[in-house]
Amino acid sequence: MAEDNQTPVIRLQDLKKRFGIGDAETFALNGINLDIEKGEFVAIMGPSGCGKTTLLNILGLLDRSVDGEYELNGKSVALMTKRQQAKIRSRQIGFVFQSFNLISRLNVIENVALPLVYKGITRTKRLKIASNILSNFHLNEREYYMPYQLSGGQTQRVAIARALVNDPSIILADEPTGNLDSQASHIIMEELSDLHNRGNTIIMVTHNPGLTTYASRVITMLDGKIDTDTKNASIVMMEVPVPASVAMDIQKQPSTRRLRKKYIRRMKKRKK
Amino acid sequence: MHFLLINHIQNAHQSLRSSRFRSALTMLGVGIGVASITMVLALSNGASKVISGQIDSLGGSIAVVRPGSTSDSITDIMQPQANTKYTASPLTEADIADISKIPQIKSIAPLMIIGGSIKADSVAPSDSTIVATTPQLAIISDLILGDGQFLDDSVNKNTVVIGKQLSINIFGTESSIGKTLVIREKAFTVIGILARINKPINYNLIDFDNAAIINLASGKELNQNIVQIQQIDIKTNSIIDLDQAKTNINKILLKNHSGETDFAVLTGAQISQPTSQLFYAVAGITAIIAIISLIVGGISIMNIMLMTVAERTREIGIRKALGANNADISWQFLIESLIISIGGGIGGYIFGYIAAFGVSVFLTFEPAFSWQIFGIAMAVSTSVGILFGIYPAIKASRKDPIESLHQYN
Repeated sequence: MAEDNQTPVIRLQDLKKRFGIGDAETFALNGINLDIEKGEFVAIMGPSGCGKTTLLNILGLLDRSVDGEYELNGKSVALMTKRQQAKIRSRQIGFVFQSFNLISRLNVIENVALPLVYKGITRTKRLKIASNILSNFHLNEREYYMPYQLSGGQTQRVAIARALVNDPSIILADEPTGNLDSQASHIIMEELSDLHNRGNTIIMVTHNPGLTTYASRVITMLDGKIDTDTKNASIVMMEVPVPASVAMDIQKQPSTRRLRKKYIRRMKKRKK
Repeated sequence: MHFLLINHIQNAHQSLRSSRFRSALTMLGVGIGVASITMVLALSNGASKVISGQIDSLGGSIAVVRPGSTSDSITDIMQPQANTKYTASPLTEADIADISKIPQIKSIAPLMIIGGSIKADSVAPSDSTIVATTPQLAIISDLILGDGQFLDDSVNKNTVVIGKQLSINIFGTESSIGKTLVIREKAFTVIGILARINKPINYNLIDFDNAAIINLASGKELNQNIVQIQQIDIKTNSIIDLDQAKTNINKILLKNHSGETDFAVLTGAQISQPTSQLFYAVAGITAIIAIISLIVGGISIMNIMLMTVAERTREIGIRKALGANNADISWQFLIESLIISIGGGIGGYIFGYIAAFGVSVFLTFEPAFSWQIFGIAMAVSTSVGILFGIYPAIKASRKDPIESLHQYN
């Protein structure tokens, strides 16, 4: 991790991701320029197929075949070997998935301890660290449960605990609340914003505009490009659930307009 | 890496336990292969041990000259001896005369095995042997007489010493001194009966309980006045002289045989190689069974591992996302296949010994234990595990993490 605060944690320059060749060639990402500073909580929004998940996979070094420049802590990712990239995934990046992705054969504590395996930490130590993390999430009593014995919210909390166990500097969350009800969603979001307050960089992909309130910066994507970015626009902090600029933006999009309406209705109901 | 290894082992243990039946079936293939290898080796070592025990009990100062050159040690189990059986033996009376002049040699006895039936009151069974030799055989091979006397230079040449079982077989009694038996229409008078030794396996390849021993001169007459020597037994003055004697014998025979190594001078452990054709046939067939079942076992390991990799594609994706590199993933699956194959190997080793002891009930010797056999069993099973586990392991490690994560459980 570079200690230099001036260097952005993530810098993307004209990042492109191609699928197919020849006539069938399409760009999932078509020229993304993006700087993310340390400690930001970035929410990435946009309609399905706009390249959000692809972007997140690239940020998480899972997808290597890209054009353009990606610098992580000031170092070009393209110059790293696979092994070095794996090391970075192990030490600096924590993944949270929509479908939780716990290993069903392993119990809760073993799942949480899994990333430590690839750091070469002994079993006893691993379980100790995992147990500490789980207690932060009030899941001590579930340590020896199997994943299928947990509720969705608990499972996602376990997955977040797993993402944190290596003390990563960046947390990548791909629709972490996508499979959860609204109550569990808010618990998860509280956890994430708590992490953000402790100085972690969080990048989250979401469909739910309501969750952007937790973010310090909202990026919307459209057709493989960044459409709006609250960092560049004048940020207006208002007592509305969604930053104004984004809200307006969302309303323009037919796919999210419905969601937006539904959300505002729900918030009004809650206030009553 | 060290911690990772332990972790991989724990992990493999866990995943194998979750599909016990499947793992056990896979182990079976390797197990059968290793069991047959273990059985053959245990029995052949047991047989060798019997012979080397005999040589040791004779003071160890025994050298044996056999026609044909011999190959070495363990490979003999896999291949039957060359067709020396059908070539004329190059060992001659002149060789014996020359060898007996070597100062280190105490006694020398040629063995000439003659085909033909032994007739008396009844005809001897076909496994009886007629052997023509010199009186010194009794000293070299430590033959003990139960009754009468052994051949010596003073007795009539048409006399014979027979084994106790042969005596019972043809005369119906153990005490047959003075009776006559007929070999190739020639009558021989029994002058001695050997005490029962019950050692059908020995370095002379003759079951003396079932043998008729005649003078070399008589043997020569029976064989159209040609001496055909299958083996020369030599006893040196002491065990210290053995090496020197061996060198001298080699020198003399090379000279006599115009520089051709068509003979082998064997001492110590070399003599104890089991040479029975039947043994080789059995060993050869078992070795083929072992190889086939190892290949089948290996293929089923590969099959199971490919299945496991396919089943756990999502897990591979998760592990990669959490920081596993390709080597970590391939080690994980390689160690799993190694545990299957080594598990099968250990099981097969144990079962092989149980089977060997079971078979030894019908034999005159017991299977031998040695660390070499365990080493071979482990080496074989490990190499099967690596050979057939490496492809699935590499396949697993090359999976694309994003595609893997999209696979549903």
